[in-house]
Amino acid sequence: MTLFLQYLAAGIASGSTFALVATGFVVIYRVTGVINFAQGVFAVLGGFLAYSLLQAGVAHGLAESLAVLITAAIGLVVGLVALGRRGTPPLASLIVTLGLAIFSYAVVITTWGDHPISYEGLSGLLAIGGVSMQRQYVLIVGAAVVTFLALALLFGRTYLGMALTACSSDQRAARLMGIDVWRMGLLAFAVGGGLGGLAGVLLTPLQPVQFDSDVGIAVNGFAAAIFGGLVRPVTAFAGGLVLGVAEAMVAGYYRSSYETAIALAVMLALMLWQASRRAPSEE
Amino acid sequence: MIGPRARSRRVVVAVLAAATLALPPLLPPEWQSLYVFIGLYAIVTCGLSLLMGFAGQVSLGQAAFYAIGAYAAAIPAVRGAPPALGLLAGTVVAAAIAAAIGVPLLRLRGHYLAFGTLAFQLILLTFIAEAGDLTGGDIGLRGIPPLGLGGVQAVTPVEYAYVTWVAVAAVFLVTRNVVRSRPGRALRALATSESAAAAAGVPVAAYKVMVFALSAAYAGLAGAIYAFFLSYIAPGSFPILLSIQFLVMAAVGGLGAVWGSLVGAAVVTLVVQLLQEVGSLPGMPTQVPAVLSYAVYALVLIVVMLLLPSGIVPALTARAASRRRDDAASTEATLGDDARASRLSSVP
Amino acid sequence: MPEGSEPLLEVHDLVVRYGAATALDGVDLAVGRAEMVALVGPNGAGKTTLLDTVSGLVAPAAGRIELRGRLAQVPEGRRLFPEMTVEDNLRLGAWRVRDRRVGPVYELFPHLVELRRRKAGSLSCGEQQMVAVGRALMGQPDLLAVDELSLGLAPQIVDTLAEHLQDLNRRSGMAILLVEQNARLALDICSRAYVIEAGRIALTGPSEQLRNSPAVQAAYLGGAYEA
Repeated sequence: MTLFLQYLAAGIASGSTFALVATGFVVIYRVTGVINFAQGVFAVLGGFLAYSLLQAGVAHGLAESLAVLITAAIGLVVGLVALGRRGTPPLASLIVTLGLAIFSYAVVITTWGDHPISYEGLSGLLAIGGVSMQRQYVLIVGAAVVTFLALALLFGRTYLGMALTACSSDQRAARLMGIDVWRMGLLAFAVGGGLGGLAGVLLTPLQPVQFDSDVGIAVNGFAAAIFGGLVRPVTAFAGGLVLGVAEAMVAGYYRSSYETAIALAVMLALMLWQASRRAPSEE
Repeated sequence: MIGPRARSRRVVVAVLAAATLALPPLLPPEWQSLYVFIGLYAIVTCGLSLLMGFAGQVSLGQAAFYAIGAYAAAIPAVRGAPPALGLLAGTVVAAAIAAAIGVPLLRLRGHYLAFGTLAFQLILLTFIAEAGDLTGGDIGLRGIPPLGLGGVQAVTPVEYAYVTWVAVAAVFLVTRNVVRSRPGRALRALATSESAAAAAGVPVAAYKVMVFALSAAYAGLAGAIYAFFLSYIAPGSFPILLSIQFLVMAAVGGLGAVWGSLVGAAVVTLVVQLLQEVGSLPGMPTQVPAVLSYAVYALVLIVVMLLLPSGIVPALTARAASRRRDDAASTEATLGDDARASRLSSVP
Repeated sequence: MPEGSEPLLEVHDLVVRYGAATALDGVDLAVGRAEMVALVGPNGAGKTTLLDTVSGLVAPAAGRIELRGRLAQVPEGRRLFPEMTVEDNLRLGAWRVRDRRVGPVYELFPHLVELRRRKAGSLSCGEQQMVAVGRALMGQPDLLAVDELSLGLAPQIVDTLAEHLQDLNRRSGMAILLVEQNARLALDICSRAYVIEAGRIALTGPSEQLRNSPAVQAAYLGGAYEA
């Protein structure tokens, strides 16, 4: 039982990082219609930036926050390139984000080399109800929940958030109100960048990152995001947690080489089940 | 009826075909394998372009069928089966698996399907890595015999170039006939509007599975040739990045344009190769090849997609068509290109 | 158009192309201050394109647009943000202006007060049209462009909305450009009208005159008499 709870804790922690990445996918997709395949890159860059800042002597907390801010700025730049001229079709933008992801490999290798890096997170264990878990887990889950609530406030309660939602709901109507859909798209990319960066900053102490770690992070985040149809943040967040727990259980009780495959198979089965329920009359 | 344009087009195709076949022995040795790869990638990309451009379905896991073709050809061959049968096995097994998984998978739409194909490839790679007895596991399969029929064996890159480019020609011929056939026209309707196609009595679900299986058959055939050519395959030969590269080739060439797959495959392969050569010139630091190839590959991709979002070949044909404005046929060509461009924006 | 004053909106020789197709081909149109003008024509004639060009959503290939004031558009099909509340929809209408108070709209449409917390997508078509008009009014326009006011609505609801528009025009002097397939309605409430066909202005003049024109009667009013 204790073992089970420990796997659960680890799963919820890694699932929370997937959820952050997934939320980034959702925010960007909703506003711009673009699937940003550079989403995993933000996490990788967040990890590397925090690493360098810590090496330079910046205090814990400050270093990580700065890294997240910088990834948000990088998100803005990615959006600027990916959205291109007005009227660039979403598939072209998608491939541009793939290109930017590959470009980031060159940047990371030149700046930091091709070896994996890591740094100390919160050290020590925390005992909750007889289960001891790493403090870093608690930090990750807490940060993810707070971020998610903040986003819910932004989108649900602020005027700016309403405008962002308007862009995702009906671009034509939003433009008629005078909302600059393109600028809102850039803002969404910045938010997505920050979310990815946060995931990376939190994840790096648990598992070292290297220049091409973005593929695994993006696949997990994309799987969680697609669970909510790429538009429902709450479902995407839940999807991230499901995925994280499923992977932790497979790795704990079975074999870690199967963790991603089985978790993806579960997601796929759920989606197929949803699809068969949604449209039984089509065949 | 053959008009003058159609006749000149035939001449162009014939000259191209002759040049293609004459080229391999003339190429410097290090370019010969590259020539094989361009052909292999063009075959896979052609199927993907058909799937995306004509049936409106996205695959982020096309390298899975490339892998299936390679293993389906290699596993019997290392156990003594005649290698030539491997080409058939690779094609058929890939198509059969695609048809089988396509029935449930193609109920998914848009992004869901993109995810489904991506997940399928990752699951398949895990399976290959774990089924060591059959597949050689992570280490891979070594000593795949060369392709041969009777006493004739293909050993050198030049010989594989001939095998590959004959396959390219066959695939293009099949594709052209599929596109022009009645089901092909129905498929075009499918890409534009699925519900309209269904309303017009097109058996949407069955056609989608058929195109999916056909695109997998192409990938399987290319994968089979790949296995014999390299004589070694492993799960690491078929990463997600390869699937993405196929997608990139299709998009760069232009979705739904048969010739686009060739242009896309050639442009992307040559760019990557050129960069690796420049990067590995003597005197370059060890990291330069990787950095340079990532950076320039990425930049080419970004620039092409931002400047020619519908792909190279459709952009060129559109330009040619607008130059022929007065020509009666140009209206049709332009409309076709517009439809293709709009489809690109509707594909997620 | 009243003589002497500069018109609120002037469109000169406007050309709009989508790819190879020409949507508008040399359109001239003007709306004076406090004027109610109708733009009628069949489907695909270019009515919405003209509105979108004036609203800045579509770039013209040639021609000139002069707008001496603020314009707000009530789009065809209403296009509310369905998952947002009525009040949030209204407030978003004020994106361009600083004033986000929704009071004036509730005064105009008291019925919306009780719906303010409802999701816009759950309202009836008539209620949605009220919200759509209200949302456009939140932008404090000098010219309100209404695209297909009557589309999909029951006749008595159309009448009520039309009365509201006439009221707005009379009381606050807001100019209104009414784009309609229902030519009878448009000619009834507007003083002047343009008939657009295949991207060109085919006819223009006072509503009275157009109503009596045999061509207009045959093309736009004929069916309605029988119905």
